[in-house]
Amino acid sequence: MRARKLLAASLVLAAGVLGVTACGQGGSGAGSSGGKVTMTFWNNATQGDGTAFWDKTVADFQAAHPNVTIKIQEIQNEDLDSKLQTALNSGDAPDIFLQRGGGKMAAMVKAGQLMDITGSITDATKQAVSAGSFKAETLGGKVYAMPMGVVPGGFFYSKDLFAKAGITQTPTTLAELQSDIAKLKTAGIQPIALGAKDAWPAAFYYDFFALRECSSDTITETSNTLKFDDPCWLKAGQDVQSFAATKPFNDGFLTTSAQQGAGSSAGLVANHKAAMELMGAWDPGVIGSLTPDQKPLPDLDWFPFPSTEGGAGEPGAMLGGVGGYSCSAKAPKAECTAFLNYITTTSVQEGYYKAFQSPPINTEAQGAVTEPYLKSVLAAYSKAPYVSQWLDTNYGLNVGNALNTAVVNLLAGKSDAQGIVDAVKTAAKKA
Amino acid sequence: MAATTVATRRATRTNRRLGWGSPSVYFVALLLIGAMLAPVVYIILGGFRTNAQITTDPAGWPNPWRVGNYLGVLRGGVFWQEVLNSTVIAVCTTVGVVTLGLMTSFILARYRFRGRGAMYALFAAGLMFPLTVAITPLYILVRTIGLMNTLPGVILPQIGFGISTTIIILVPFLRAIPDEIQEAASIDGCSRLGFFWRMVLPLSMPGVITVAILTFIASWNSYLLPLFILNRESTFTLPLGVQAFASQYSVDTAKVLAFTSLSMIPALVFFSLFQRRIVGGLTGAVKG
Amino acid sequence: MPDSNQQSAQLTQDPSGGPTTVGDGALVASPPTGRRPHKGIGWPARLEIALMTGPTLLVYLFFVIFPVAVAAYYGFYNWQGYGPPTDFVGLRNYVLIFQDGTFLDALWHNGAIVVLSLVIQGPVAVLLALLLNRKMRGQTLIRVLVFIPYVISEVVVGTGWSLMLQGSGAVNSLLEHLGLGWLRGDWLANPGLAIWTLMAILTWKYIGFAVLLFLAGLQGIPDELTEAAAIDGASYWQIQRRITLPLLGPTIRIWAFLSMIGALQLFDLVYIIWGQYIASTAGTSTMATYMVANGRTAGEYGYGNAVAVVLFLISLAAALVYQRFVLRRDTEGAITGGMG
Repeated sequence: MRARKLLAASLVLAAGVLGVTACGQGGSGAGSSGGKVTMTFWNNATQGDGTAFWDKTVADFQAAHPNVTIKIQEIQNEDLDSKLQTALNSGDAPDIFLQRGGGKMAAMVKAGQLMDITGSITDATKQAVSAGSFKAETLGGKVYAMPMGVVPGGFFYSKDLFAKAGITQTPTTLAELQSDIAKLKTAGIQPIALGAKDAWPAAFYYDFFALRECSSDTITETSNTLKFDDPCWLKAGQDVQSFAATKPFNDGFLTTSAQQGAGSSAGLVANHKAAMELMGAWDPGVIGSLTPDQKPLPDLDWFPFPSTEGGAGEPGAMLGGVGGYSCSAKAPKAECTAFLNYITTTSVQEGYYKAFQSPPINTEAQGAVTEPYLKSVLAAYSKAPYVSQWLDTNYGLNVGNALNTAVVNLLAGKSDAQGIVDAVKTAAKKA
Repeated sequence: MAATTVATRRATRTNRRLGWGSPSVYFVALLLIGAMLAPVVYIILGGFRTNAQITTDPAGWPNPWRVGNYLGVLRGGVFWQEVLNSTVIAVCTTVGVVTLGLMTSFILARYRFRGRGAMYALFAAGLMFPLTVAITPLYILVRTIGLMNTLPGVILPQIGFGISTTIIILVPFLRAIPDEIQEAASIDGCSRLGFFWRMVLPLSMPGVITVAILTFIASWNSYLLPLFILNRESTFTLPLGVQAFASQYSVDTAKVLAFTSLSMIPALVFFSLFQRRIVGGLTGAVKG
Repeated sequence: MPDSNQQSAQLTQDPSGGPTTVGDGALVASPPTGRRPHKGIGWPARLEIALMTGPTLLVYLFFVIFPVAVAAYYGFYNWQGYGPPTDFVGLRNYVLIFQDGTFLDALWHNGAIVVLSLVIQGPVAVLLALLLNRKMRGQTLIRVLVFIPYVISEVVVGTGWSLMLQGSGAVNSLLEHLGLGWLRGDWLANPGLAIWTLMAILTWKYIGFAVLLFLAGLQGIPDELTEAAAIDGASYWQIQRRITLPLLGPTIRIWAFLSMIGALQLFDLVYIIWGQYIASTAGTSTMATYMVANGRTAGEYGYGNAVAVVLFLISLAAALVYQRFVLRRDTEGAITGGMG
């Protein structure tokens, strides 16, 4: 019995020591003790090329700033938002992190968790990055994130599979898209891959239909009021319902994830098991990492979401806009903003584009883009009369999640267009 | 009486066993074991394949057998760090729960005082709170007292939440110890605490062991509390590690399966070492 | 029976702790002896009580009761999680909860899981326990193997099973290999199938625990009873029905209680397999997953805490009702103050 007690006591002691050491292990490094600065950096680049890109970028930055060390943590896209929120709320936030913008960013600003970088944007950066790109990262006249890339949405498709189905031209209207879908089905090809398990890919359809049905003013205003009374919201849901009625999606789309593994929607396109998917411009990189040889898909191409009849939305309007990175309010200002400015320089941006196969924000680097589909994306983006963030980003976590889940319910046949409107209204009530 | 009864007993038993048919028992047992173990085997075998193999033939045999995934995990420091964290947390939690639980159960079982019923009800009510109910305020509490990202920040709440089940199991156990023994001890000049030390502890060992093992397993497998409290990779426990690994290498199913099956092993080893005690302990708990 | 002896002994035990009359029902008030002449509980005893229960109470109150009370407090606020809560909304959150169809769905699912768990696992576990309760070779090994799923963490179980149950996963693939391709299904997303998939996984994981518990209970039944009945000519099933099962009653009732509470609080498995979003679509959402989805994930911590409190109250109500009507006849009721 005494031995037991001794064992217990020593174990508790050991735990205490371990605990204290764990406690003492370098904090999130917001201190610059004697000039040495350590920062933590959270991003969602979990695949090979992306990870390598950030490793190199950070290494180069550290070489140019010998007193700075940056620790990178890659977090799966689906887990990032909640982990970030927990970290921000617990006061243990990373210094640099991916920023989605919209209502999500607004919530962080309201909580005082973001650093205002308006005054720290260098002239070089302002020259390389168009003023319009900063709009998405601005709130109340202050800039809270550095834009990194342009990720507008559209249909990424396989030219080979389209050719196999006898489709010669990409569709520009909804009717043409529907007939193309029919042709693909006749040829025995699953027309559209959809990662509905993660909910937001399903909501993309609703978002785009809403973009076509609602005027840009309505969409912007709803971000502020969170009122969904305009009939265009209901109409958008009905559009989704009739679109889904033709069963254009892959088998088991309700449990298909968006980006994880060869069974994900990106994986299906990468392995020619589905002809297209509606995604943001990060998709080529994701698809490229899931092909059998892990190289970019050679027959990949892109067309914008088709136009619809009627509807108050401007033709050519796009969803997706800009993705960027923020500094937390507690981060060391000089070093953090230096890093943010660094990542928009041309050479880094070119590396970013090559690693992620995604359009860079730097206008010079955009000139270096060779892939025809990325060029189409950039062209459509610059011509677009109105660009909105994805609606779930726009309307914040609470309403955004409700919206995403409601669309999945509709696609699963459990609810209807009115159900989507009801769900977002219920969520708005909780806010 | 003994001989004939025994003979009859034996005869009847043998008859009944033969009548029921052992082969069918074994057959059912085999089916049962197969169903229990198939998923486990799948996970283990999956680690020996490559991702391409899994995509082409999800339910197939490894062909060829690749040890790369397992070796990669075992060689990396992450896995072992997480095993260490999990072990420290589980051991400390178990020691804490057993010590506190036993002391309190002894009081509740063998002393009479006003408020005893209330105290017992208080502890029993703890069964109604899953950790999920209290997690947000608990997390804020832990943060306030500065134990975020530390192992004690997980150990202390776990002890708190483990107390209820322990008391529910141990109180009947301790009450079952006949009073004659306590009387005898006090006649011999032993104080109540001495009685506790010298007699109750050894007598309640089966119950204590059961509680210890159940607590250890629960702590080892716990996910939600570490998820909220431990945000730094160096402090992760195994379940967190599995999740993090699965999400970081979500593209590579085979690697994820390798990590997952390796993380099952400590729990299984622990269980196989103590399985006899578990059954014995549960027997005692139920009887008492 | 041991229990009644112990109870009557209890009744005669005098708080003063001095020697008392022990025996069946001899309610002789024991005269205080010269050794400890005092009324009520003596100081030594009080000190012992304080010492032994003090630390426990401290940890318990601080880390369990206090957070739950605070959760109730947060439930009255509209609060996003950072800084102190300032937007008091009274019972609004609670009203919204019961108006939300998604919550009511989740509640319904929980109810279904409770009932199905009892109905499926109970009889199967009893049968298995009866089957395995014989002295045969390999008995220990079988018991160990049956218990293994219980030992494995829910994260591992969830990860493994979700990989196997995918449309292109091992289960469907195996069915095809066996020529049963027509049985292929969307195990996870089809609302008709998903709840049964969940039940299958739950049964797989927890039946070992039930079997072990029942085996332990069966061992407590004296062989003489069943022998005697057999000699009297009762058939095997008659014996089980008239003797074994009733004697196994207390064990079954305790198991049912634990199973019910566990089913009401189910979270980990559903969360890991069905993720944050499609649990409700697939018809497998529980109150706990609803709480996380609408509380933490949505950034609405006030609302989430209100859901937590509702979950607690429902569990408590179920437990009290069960204690009152079912467990009363067995042991000293744990919560309805059976301490006498």
